[in-house]
Amino acid sequence: MAGTRLVLQGLVKRYADGPAAVDGITLDVAPGELLGLLGPSGCGKTTTLRMIGGLIPATAGQITVGGRDVTALPTHKRDMGIVFQSYALFPHMDVAANVAFGLEMRGVKRAESAARVQAALDLVRLGHLAKRRPRELSGGQQQRVALARALVIEPTILLLDEPLSNLDAKLRDEMRAEITDIQRRLGITTVFVTHDQAEALAMCDRIAVMEHGRIAQLGTPHDIYENPACEFVADFVGRSNRIPAQAGPAGIALGAYTIQTPSPTPPGPVTVMIRPHRIELAPPAGPDWNSAAGTVTRVTYVGDLLAVDLDVAGAIFHAERPTQPGMQPPPIGHQTAVSWRISDTMAFPRVP
Amino acid sequence: MSGPSRLTPHLLLAPALLVNFAVFLAPMLNLAVLSFREARPGGSIGTRFTLSTWQTLIEDPYYLDLVTGSIGLAVPVTIATLLAAYPLALFIHRASQRWRSLLVVACVSPLLVSAVVRTYGWMVILGDSGLVAAAIRTFGMKPPRMVFNTAGVAIALVEILMPTMILCLLAGFGRLSAALEEAAASLGAPPFRVFLRVVLPLSLPGVLLGCLLAFVLTVSSFITPKLLGGGRVILLATEIYDQAIVTLNWPVAAALSVLSLAVFGAALMLYGRLLRRVEA
Repeated sequence: MAGTRLVLQGLVKRYADGPAAVDGITLDVAPGELLGLLGPSGCGKTTTLRMIGGLIPATAGQITVGGRDVTALPTHKRDMGIVFQSYALFPHMDVAANVAFGLEMRGVKRAESAARVQAALDLVRLGHLAKRRPRELSGGQQQRVALARALVIEPTILLLDEPLSNLDAKLRDEMRAEITDIQRRLGITTVFVTHDQAEALAMCDRIAVMEHGRIAQLGTPHDIYENPACEFVADFVGRSNRIPAQAGPAGIALGAYTIQTPSPTPPGPVTVMIRPHRIELAPPAGPDWNSAAGTVTRVTYVGDLLAVDLDVAGAIFHAERPTQPGMQPPPIGHQTAVSWRISDTMAFPRVP
Repeated sequence: MSGPSRLTPHLLLAPALLVNFAVFLAPMLNLAVLSFREARPGGSIGTRFTLSTWQTLIEDPYYLDLVTGSIGLAVPVTIATLLAAYPLALFIHRASQRWRSLLVVACVSPLLVSAVVRTYGWMVILGDSGLVAAAIRTFGMKPPRMVFNTAGVAIALVEILMPTMILCLLAGFGRLSAALEEAAASLGAPPFRVFLRVVLPLSLPGVLLGCLLAFVLTVSSFITPKLLGGGRVILLATEIYDQAIVTLNWPVAAALSVLSLAVFGAALMLYGRLLRRVEA
């Protein structure tokens, strides 16, 4: 199955009252790409997905699939596979009938349909449960049936709406791998909506981080994590220290310390952001490091990590170190050097 | 102190069972016994037991016609009520939370008006110089007779039963969900097929419940056929009334009551069987 290109052009959704739920989304999803729409609830990610699927009409903008404008097409003519958050399996049909539904609507012959249903169920490793009712399946199994049902029609685009959010943590990791495996194997263009940044980072080829109906940043997981475009993205993706400081001509002043950033920061109030695990509790290892000294205020041992809170010139630094055998946690009240790479220092102007 | 014993649930059921026995089961048994008593001229009831009442019921084709006629009216009335109520119920089910409760109240409010008043209302509307007849005359056609016959009774019964049907349908729409319809559409089902393959099958429990109640209420309806039927539409319930109050033949009235209970029992069994099938 060759993937199909999906292009969104200035997509807008406005409801009668209130601001636009989706405010001009332009995206070019490459054939076979797994693109994530990531953001907090209310950011417009699900609304965007529902517009792509034709479940709600777009107020403005254009959706094209493989060069064909589908903006005005109703859902049942769009040929897209949708996996819903609630799975939406038909409770009055068994698993095989659920999966066969799309083929039935397409008038596929009974024998061919049975073979394709079996192949789809085998793909999600549920071939043995074809005669069960959805309510007799576990959440993970229902999820796989929903995936098989969406895939069996060989859709041009696969849309996944928070498909993992109803599963427990262990199963979620399993399904993550399974969905990406199947998606890669079939090479099907996929849009994946999630509010879970770890999920998006782990699964997607590219991620569009959304805020207030707009794309805050579009990039690979590595881009999004290492070079966030704004404070919102830095804060939403991964965890960060947020330290209020003042940028001056010589660098950012934090108490008596001066902090350097990879590129010069315009003077004014800024928020400095540093990932906790990139902070070393040691003097700087070279010239391309920032350094300061702080007082240990709290030490938390969580097995694989040692979390240390430090007071640096009145600001709280949260540092995390991987644990080693025989490692001695610093005593509370102890004065220690802290350092981190200049390249790990993010600074964003603070909006008053 | 020990916890609640195994007897507790039965004890909690006792008041309901007691009331049911005292006001339903005991009188019904009494009626059953009465149907085997001798009917004497002048309305008195003999002490001898006899099979003659039941024999008459079985042998006289009038009573067979009565049963088939009652069912023959109840089935089309039930179907018509379902067809009229289903789109309304679906609309209410899909309305927003705020509108839904308002619409339910609006649909159920006719229940606040007695069936007597509503039947008289229909007599005015359907009468020879009523609204409907006048409207038909405007088009230069001769209006059909719509009161004091089966058609009028059926029209009024459909309206009277609609609130009940709507409530039953709404109660049975629990398994419907927008996501299921969206899923069906995304798999290529146009709206009509979404309705046939998803909405309708999932609403069948409500449909069955509504049909059972509408059927039973039609067979046992009394005021509407009595008033709008003008003595020409004779159903089980009106005949029981006539036998008990006019003819003063209590054994026949009792036997007919037992007979209508048997009809309801059969309907209930059919309902149970169909419900198991649609919920499987």
